[in-house]
Amino acid sequence: MSERAIAIRLKIPDNEAYTALVALQRLGVEAERLERSEIWIVEDAGDPSSLASRVEANESVFNPNKHRLEVLASPQPRAGEVWIEELGAHDEVREHLGGKAIDGIARARRCVGWRLLDRYGEPVSRGTVADAADLLLCNPAIEVARLGPEGSRARREEAGDRA
Amino acid sequence: MSGRIAVLVFPGTNSEDETLRLLRECGGDADLVHWSNAGALDEYDAYVLPGGFAYEDRVRAGAIAAHDRMMDRVIEGTQRGKLALGICNGAQILLEAGLVPGTGAVRRPTAAFTHNAPVPHFVCRHVYVKLAMDPARSPMTAGLANDAVIPAYTANGQGRLVATPERLREIAAGDHQAFVYARADGSLGDDAIPNGSASGIAALVNREGNVLAIMPHPERDAWNFNHLDRAEGSDPLAPSGGAVFFRSFVAGVRR
Repeated sequence: MSERAIAIRLKIPDNEAYTALVALQRLGVEAERLERSEIWIVEDAGDPSSLASRVEANESVFNPNKHRLEVLASPQPRAGEVWIEELGAHDEVREHLGGKAIDGIARARRCVGWRLLDRYGEPVSRGTVADAADLLLCNPAIEVARLGPEGSRARREEAGDRA
Repeated sequence: MSGRIAVLVFPGTNSEDETLRLLRECGGDADLVHWSNAGALDEYDAYVLPGGFAYEDRVRAGAIAAHDRMMDRVIEGTQRGKLALGICNGAQILLEAGLVPGTGAVRRPTAAFTHNAPVPHFVCRHVYVKLAMDPARSPMTAGLANDAVIPAYTANGQGRLVATPERLREIAAGDHQAFVYARADGSLGDDAIPNGSASGIAALVNREGNVLAIMPHPERDAWNFNHLDRAEGSDPLAPSGGAVFFRSFVAGVRR
């Protein structure tokens, strides 16, 4: 049984992400793009190479007309990203997978992933992501935020400052 | 104070008409104010945030609206003592804005009305709420009797109050519980709570008593035609039921 993460994103315009971006910019968060994903962290006993196709076969959670699915390299947020998970959320696989079981998946947790990018399309700094979570994306009364690592651009700039 | 009441309309608000109609029926000098006209809110003495789905509940219910320019005015006005009443989605906005229970900083929510339990689905059901504080604690409830029981309809998918144990202790210790779910006779019990809300809380009030957030809709059980306890032969278009709460609110605005 391995823990894996899947990201499902809209391939049509994401109005919710746009609304959140405008609100964050109004709050002073310096980001030019915001990508929203539905993240599933699953415990999977099946063949890793078939995970995407097994989930894509569940039409109640994946609509090929508007979604794209990615199996993430690790079950951790990426640079520039924060995963927001509801505290005490149910982890029963059927509830989160649209009421249908998926072969091999025993448990699933759902998060919302928000990835903030700068005008060069690079991940913003970890501090900026933390601000975005604190100001809007996470309500600590009901949610927990998991931040990704510092992005390479921010690391380069920090190294440049030190030099 | 002249007693003018603004009924706020965000993109996605859907209960403004019945709220406005009832406020006027109860003697309120009320108008709709739309999000594109936030500056007009300065001319009003009280705010009512009706139910609906402001900004389509994007990010979280009430989260985007809590940062809308209209809420800049509401926050400023309530800090100067103006009254604000939020119903359903309006209540969610007031929590996201940090105005209730008001135990943290502005726009730093310390509690939330979130997905119902045990099943996180939409619940539409007739309920009763019981005043859980001294009526004089808020101008909005000062016209109600002790332990007043008010009929309402709960109609939401996210009406369950959730907070950390520490924050729930603050809510209890600070007398922030305005109304709790109850049976028709005012007795309390789990069967009266439609959504697993913490401590059976249906409404919260801030420390000063001028901001109140209630999840069920008293305005939807405020006319005889939709009032379950109406008398035989009563005028179906006469106000009843939840109107008592709105009369108290209007009197509080004029006080």
